[in-house]
Amino acid sequence: MSDTAHLVFAVLALLALALIVRLVRLQALKAKYSVLWLTVGALLAVSAAVPGVLDWIAGKVGVAYQPALFLLLGFGFLLLLAMHFSYELSRLETRVRTLAEELTLLRHELDDKQD
Amino acid sequence: MRTAVVIPAFNEAEALPGVLAELAAAVPDHAVVVIDDGSSDDTAGVAAAAGVTCLRLPFNLGIGGALRLGFRFAAEQGFERVYQFDADGQHDPSQIPILLAGLENADMVVGTRFAVGDPGDSGYRVGRGRGLAMGLLRWLVRRATGRRFTDTSSGFRALRRPVLELFATDYPVEYMDSVEALLLAVRHGFTVVEVPVRMRERQGGRPSTRNLRLAYHYVRVLIVLVAGLGRHTRLGATA
Repeated sequence: MSDTAHLVFAVLALLALALIVRLVRLQALKAKYSVLWLTVGALLAVSAAVPGVLDWIAGKVGVAYQPALFLLLGFGFLLLLAMHFSYELSRLETRVRTLAEELTLLRHELDDKQD
Repeated sequence: MRTAVVIPAFNEAEALPGVLAELAAAVPDHAVVVIDDGSSDDTAGVAAAAGVTCLRLPFNLGIGGALRLGFRFAAEQGFERVYQFDADGQHDPSQIPILLAGLENADMVVGTRFAVGDPGDSGYRVGRGRGLAMGLLRWLVRRATGRRFTDTSSGFRALRRPVLELFATDYPVEYMDSVEALLLAVRHGFTVVEVPVRMRERQGGRPSTRNLRLAYHYVRVLIVLVAGLGRHTRLGATA
């Protein structure tokens, strides 16, 4: 990788990390997600700062083309994340439905009392 | 016996008054519960004007969600028998006694538009595509439950206490809930029977679903059915 590209990616990784830290500090991210994203940010920062790290891991696990390893890990991570979100969404939808039912019944009771 | 009729209604202000008037004349001793499923028209006002109980959902939950709320309400209020009735005038009040009579020796009764062995008898006709789709559903439900149902998607149904309690919490909330509810009741070991009834054409409002969405939910129910094929035998083995 050329020095310019290296610099660009290092800056991008730092920006991503800064955004994550900011969101965590603002408590815009729930704690369970902040751990996840901080880990991702740290990994990105390390691999951008020390380009040799990825080459070394790729060599260890026997991947000849190093970017493929990066893409594979990234893709796998995103897939798991998407599945996790689907799971969370399903759970939330169940809860919202039940809340809507509760609310409707309570409102009905209240209307009855006022009449 | 205390009986409630649950009517899910989404933007049915046009047809609902007629339906409520017919019910008041045909079954004056039944408690009518309208579930306003987040309508943007005056469905709730129309129900209130008719003097029936109206539960207003804060947003649209779909027919399954509305029905579940109705069952929950009926269960909490201590009703012994409940039946579903369409807000669009598709169901005929004169058929209610036929439906409820079925509850004497069953936990759940489904009013079928297709009399067993004679599909032309009920006067209800469907197009060829829909006929094929319903045929496949029928076949899969038969494989999944081990029983034969002629009208798996009929929304004209009655149920009594043990099923009512199950449906109050576990009624399937996605569209095409009727097929899944049938499976649910059968899987829990309840007796489900079909009785032939007469139905009418819709009197107002628009069909609740467009073709593409219908196709999606049809495929979804097929997946649910196919996924459940093995489960029936395992449940049967442990019982």
